[in-house]
Parts: sequence; structure tokens; C-alpha cells
Amino acid sequence: MAQKIFTVLVGGKAGEGIKKAAQVIAHLAIIHNNHVFQTDDYQSLIKGGHNFSVVSMSPSRMYNTYKQANLVISFDSRSVDEHKGDLLEGGLHFCDEADVRDDTMIPLPLAKLVKTHYPEAGNMSLASIAIFCAVMGISEEFLKDTIAREFKRNQAENTSFALAVYQLVNQLDLQKVYELKQEQSVASKFYTGNQLLALGAWAAGLDCYFSYPMTPASSILHYLALKRDQLGIKTVHAESELAAANMALGACFAGKRAAVGSSGGGFALMQEAFSMAGMVEAPLLCFLSSRPGPATGVSTYTAQEDLFFALNQGHGEFPRIVASPDSFERAFTLAIELMNLAWESQSPAILLTEKHLSESATNLRLDISKVDEYQLAQPDSVNYQRYQFTQSGISPLKFPGSDSATDDDVIKWNTNEHLESGFRTDKATNIKLMKEKRQRKSAAIDSLSRKYRRVEVYGKGSTKVFAYGSTALELREAQKYIDFELVVPVYLEPFPHDELAAYRGKEVIVVEHSLNPNFARFLKEKLEINVKANILRYDGRHFDAGELVNAIREAIDA
Amino acid sequence: MRNLISSKENTWCIGCGNFGIFAAVRKCIKTLHEEGTPLADIVMTSGIGCHGKIFDYLDISGIYGLHGRALATAQGVKLANPNLNVITFGGDGDSLGEGLEHTLFAAKRNMDITLILHNNGNYGLTTGQASPLSDFGYKGLSTPFGNVEKPFNAISLLLEAGASFVARGYSAKIDHLAGILHQAIRHKGFSFVEVLQPCVSYNNTYQLYNEHTAFLDALPSDIEHARALAKDHEKQYLGIFHNEARAVYHELIAPAIPAMDVSARKQYLTEYQ
Repeated sequence: MAQKIFTVLVGGKAGEGIKKAAQVIAHLAIIHNNHVFQTDDYQSLIKGGHNFSVVSMSPSRMYNTYKQANLVISFDSRSVDEHKGDLLEGGLHFCDEADVRDDTMIPLPLAKLVKTHYPEAGNMSLASIAIFCAVMGISEEFLKDTIAREFKRNQAENTSFALAVYQLVNQLDLQKVYELKQEQSVASKFYTGNQLLALGAWAAGLDCYFSYPMTPASSILHYLALKRDQLGIKTVHAESELAAANMALGACFAGKRAAVGSSGGGFALMQEAFSMAGMVEAPLLCFLSSRPGPATGVSTYTAQEDLFFALNQGHGEFPRIVASPDSFERAFTLAIELMNLAWESQSPAILLTEKHLSESATNLRLDISKVDEYQLAQPDSVNYQRYQFTQSGISPLKFPGSDSATDDDVIKWNTNEHLESGFRTDKATNIKLMKEKRQRKSAAIDSLSRKYRRVEVYGKGSTKVFAYGSTALELREAQKYIDFELVVPVYLEPFPHDELAAYRGKEVIVVEHSLNPNFARFLKEKLEINVKANILRYDGRHFDAGELVNAIREAIDA
Repeated sequence: MRNLISSKENTWCIGCGNFGIFAAVRKCIKTLHEEGTPLADIVMTSGIGCHGKIFDYLDISGIYGLHGRALATAQGVKLANPNLNVITFGGDGDSLGEGLEHTLFAAKRNMDITLILHNNGNYGLTTGQASPLSDFGYKGLSTPFGNVEKPFNAISLLLEAGASFVARGYSAKIDHLAGILHQAIRHKGFSFVEVLQPCVSYNNTYQLYNEHTAFLDALPSDIEHARALAKDHEKQYLGIFHNEARAVYHELIAPAIPAMDVSARKQYLTEYQ
């Protein structure tokens, strides 16, 4: 099936405004009613190196970008060499006249024009916007307005430079390969995954966000910090992840919704606090955005190596909640669900995701109907006991300093094993009873989570493919070319056994971003599936649709 | 006012300095209550060690936190509800070893919290190992040939970190300590109170402190003077070393608008997109 998709790739050095230029191109596509997906490939450095951003657009929903582009714009010779093989047949590759290697590239006097139009350092990345406009037949006026709106500094120089590039490309009289203007209107807001996680948690009442920066989770902190006065939210860049997690637990004790976010390394540091959340029964929401490890690993790329790490976060035995968003829409709704579940069950919850979702972007409408209030366990007795035994294991909550708390209330949260009152205990019978009380919440969590969509199935076909997290997005893009049934457990703990019962013992293909087939191992244990093939990618890069189509065909034919 | 002593069995050693701290804290809370502070608005966090047992004996709300992290937890409590009076109990191993970063940063931020440091010069509960405040040469199970590290000077360290109220008390001078604690809790900003606390089992310093402590006559003229007094070789001075008015963290980071309820959030998001 031929797809009407157009892909733009902009490449150059870090610090040259590549990502911003690509965002402007994405906006131009959205304004013209395109569905857009943007990915940014960058390294852990500030200047130099090689960065590139890709924007794929289409009249139908986009779930990923493509490696092969219709339009490549290279701002340095390294980009020319890196991406000359990424040009689709009939595509256009623009570069500076000095970097031309062969006749597949279209030379433009970019460096010269920058010198002519700017007295000092210029913004060469604007050329990509000008080239895109010229190639798509967007008017000169529209280009001028866009540049003026998006770039506030050096406006006169920007406009004259961009127009000069635009006119040169116009003179080439290129044949139009993609009609940018689409009939069907699309969602106009463009979100990164991390923005959706932040907004979802906020929609569910997030009051304080505590974090220590770690890519690819940092932009949750950045976004919320910037939105302080619009959202009425407090953010703390703590001295360490240990501080962040322990602060968040303190905020929960005071009755406020709190969250933390980091990548694998930061979560390794938060293990003890996570265990504390289990023991004190704190509703701690955690965003874990994975990157390739171990240790510092590869800071700015994607991975799914932390599945078992997330499922086993924190030492000791206590109920945990782990779920992973399989789409941008779900990033928003799952953050709401997990915040609510955490509070309803007074248990820590991990929203497990990856760089590919955290830092990629798409246009969508938020499903605000998912923002719901819910009931917390209410205290009914005079003699309040923090860890009162109940059938569900969930004890009533009361907060110090709240309207309902009186001078006679003593609210004790305790990291030591404790009595119903919250006082410490070493006594054998008490230890046993309190452990069993916490354990009972597992069943409660399972039952509470059933009101949510714990498993999603996309497409149809005799071939069954399992994936979780943003790998599902990559597979949905592949489904535009090949039929298969994509099964995605959104909830990993509690595991949605009932919803997946039909797949028990079935032959399936499992796709994931790790060296070892961890997710396949997990599914085998839970569902006794028969894994026909593992499709694994563990070089930090996301899967391209074409690559997945080939791998799935191979697996079917094997 | 109701009784502040819980029904839990007290397991501090007979003669432990913690009893004096416990008495001073109760006296101070009684004063706060008489001045109109509801008990419901006073919360505590504690770390792990002999000091932490105060959590079980003092009948007010709080969190028995992780070793070293009680002050981080306390900061979260304060940020979430700035109306609460938050008191953190820490040991020298807890607050200056495992959790040193939180102590320095709480001071740096001028978090409106009071940290009471139970300085017994060793790790009592885990059988007397050397702490960050143990003397050079201190012999314990982990340093059988003598501690080869020099101790921190807690007062001087916290002055440098930016604590806006810094004081020292002695567990055997209960009335004086209660007075300092009262000022510390009433102080708007980060208050650090080091309490000299003899450990009768592993580091009995009663005689030393009885002979070598003296009350400060007045607030030192400046930080330099305060630091010099804190480091005095002859005397361990008791009293207030530093007391300054400075903007507090929770006010500096406060959003321009109050927190919204869920329906207001829904409305905002509807308009946002």
C-alpha cells in the first residue's frame, strides 16, 4: 500500500538550531492540516558533533518518523556524508556549495549568504525553513511571517537571509512531489511525550514535582518549572535523586500529589526511597524514561533495558504498579491513571517509558474526559490509626495540618515495621500481620486498575506481535505496510491476565529495544507464549517502519 | 494540652543524653502550644539511630524516615504545606554522614525547618562506631586502631552552608535547650541546633561537657566571630551563634497562582488546546 508521507531531515552541528528549525517545519505542516511526527537525534554535547531532526508528515496519523527522507538539508559536510544514503528516490538533498559530493546534492551558497545578510554570527538553520517553504510552494509572505513569529532576535537579518534562500530554491523550478495542504483538519497542538506526562500528572492534581536532571526525563522538570505561574505548580531541582524522592514522600505525607522523574541511573539512586514508599504506603508517582545502559550508558538515545528493574524497583516485598504508555495520547491518560491508582491504593507507581516517547513530538488533542476525581479512603473513627487493618489492605488517609486533623490525631508514617498506630514493632505476630495487610493491596490494585484499558490491540492478522511502550508506535507505523495483530500490555504490574487470556500458549513475535529478550521472557512466564521470533534493537536508535516490515516478514517466513 | 509522651516502652540507656533532649522538646512544644500553635500543625521527621527513637516516644505526627534522609523528607513536607512547623531530628551519623548533602542544601536553601542534631560523637545504636563528629583517635569497632579522620565542626560547617539560625545546646541543660529550640522553631528560615549529647555506653562525655561548656554572653558580632567561638579549643560554647532574617525557599518558589482543583485544571486544559 503506497503511503502519502513526506519526510524532511535537517542535519548539522549541535548549537546551530537544528531542532528548533525542525519544530518550525513541523508547525508549518500542522497549519496545513498534516499529521506530524518529529524525532531528534542528538548527542551529549553542547557545540559541534552531529545532530539531526526528522519530521514526517501525512494526511493520516503518523506514529513515527522515517529514516529515508524526501527532503534532506545538510548544514555541514558531516551531515552530507551521514545522510546522503538516506535520500529517497526522487528526493532532494540541499547543502552548502562547498560540501557537494556528487550530483545527488543541490548546492546553495549558504555560508556566503549568511555572511552577506548578517553582520555577525547568523542563523543558518533558517535556510531549512526557507527551503521547505519553497519546495512546498508556501508563499513568501507566509515564510516572512513565520520567521518573524518564531525568531525574535535579528528579525531584519533573518528575513532577508531566509528570503534570499527561498528565492534561490524557487528559481530551481522543482517539481512538487507532495501536496502540503490537506483537507481534513488536524489537532493543532504539538506535544513531546514528556510534556504529556507532565500535563497528565498535573491534570490529576500534581502539586509538587521533585527531580534531579537526567536525560531523557529532564524536560518534564523543565516544562513544569517554566509553567509554574500558569499551572500553579511547585518544582524543585533537588541536590540529588535521593533528595528528590525523599522530598516527594514528605509531600505525600502532607497530602499533596507529588511525582519524581529520572532515567535508570537516577532510579538506581532512588531505590531505597521507592522501598520506603512501599513501607510507609506513600502514593509516589515516578516517571522512568529509559536510555541505553548500564551506568551512564548512552545519555540521549532510546532503550527498554529497564523492564525488570522497574518491575522490581526497591528492596523488600510490597505491591508496586508499573505501566508503560504505548502512544502519545496514553502518555497523558496513563499519567492520570497512575496518579489516581497510586493514591487510591497508597502504593508507588512507575510510569515506564523511553527516550523515543519522552523526547519525540506529535500533534494531538488531549482526552480531557479522562481527568476524573476519585475517592480516597476516608477515616471514620475518632482514634485515627495510619495503618488500620482493612479487608482491602487500604487504610484511611488523614493529613497533618488538614481541616480534618485535630490536636488529638497522631499521624505516624514509619519506615520501620510498624503497628496500626504507626509505632515501630519487632514483634513476630505484628510483623506478619502488617506484611499481609500490605500484600492485600495487590488484589485491590488489580481490581482498581480494571476500570482502565490495560491492554490495547491494534490491527488484525494471523501473525501476532507483542510489544510495550513506544515500540508499539514503531509497529503501528509498520502496520501501514503489513498486516499483523499488535498486542500491547499497557499495564505490566498488575499484569492483565484476564485481558490476555486469549493469547495464552500462542505463537507470537516479540519486538523490544534490548539486547536480551526481557519482555519475551516476561511474557513467557506470565502467558506461556511460544516465541516464534525476537526482534531486538539495542543500538539506541528507534526502529524504522521498513526495517520492522522486513524483520516481521522474515520471522513469518522462517 | 494532651500528654506528649507515647505509651511506647522507652529503650534509651539509663543516663542517655536523649532523655534531656526529649524533655526540652516537650517543654518547647508546650510553650508553642500555649502561644497558640495547634499540635496538629507540628510535625516531625527523624532518621535512623538512637536519636530516631524519639519518633516512638514523642506523641506528635511525623515520618520515621530513612537513615540520612529525614531532612529531605522534611523539606517535602514543608513545601507541600508551608503552614506546618517542621522539626527534624538527626544524629551525627545520620545528618552529617549519610545525609550530609541534605543538611547542607537545606541550609543553602534556607528551608523553614528546624534540624536538631543529636551529637553523641558516635554511632550509638550500631554499637559505637566512629561518626563524622568523632574525635581523631576515637576507638570503635570500625576504627579499632583509632579514627584517622578529623571531625567536622558542625556549627562552623552550617554557618558556611548558609543556615540562618545556628545554635548549640547541651542535653543536661534542659531549660536552656528548650529556650533555644523555641527560638529555632519560631525563626523563619533554616534553624540548626547542635545538641551535645553524652552517650553513656560508648562515648560518655558528661564530665568533659560539665567542665568545658560555657554560655555565650551575647550573639556574636558577625559570622567570623561566630565561627571563631564555635572552634574554640578551650570551651564548647552554648547559645545562639547566628540569627539572620533571610527570604525562605518555599516563598521564593511559590507560584503566582494558588493550586487549582481538578475541575479548574480540566477547564484550563480545555482552553489550552
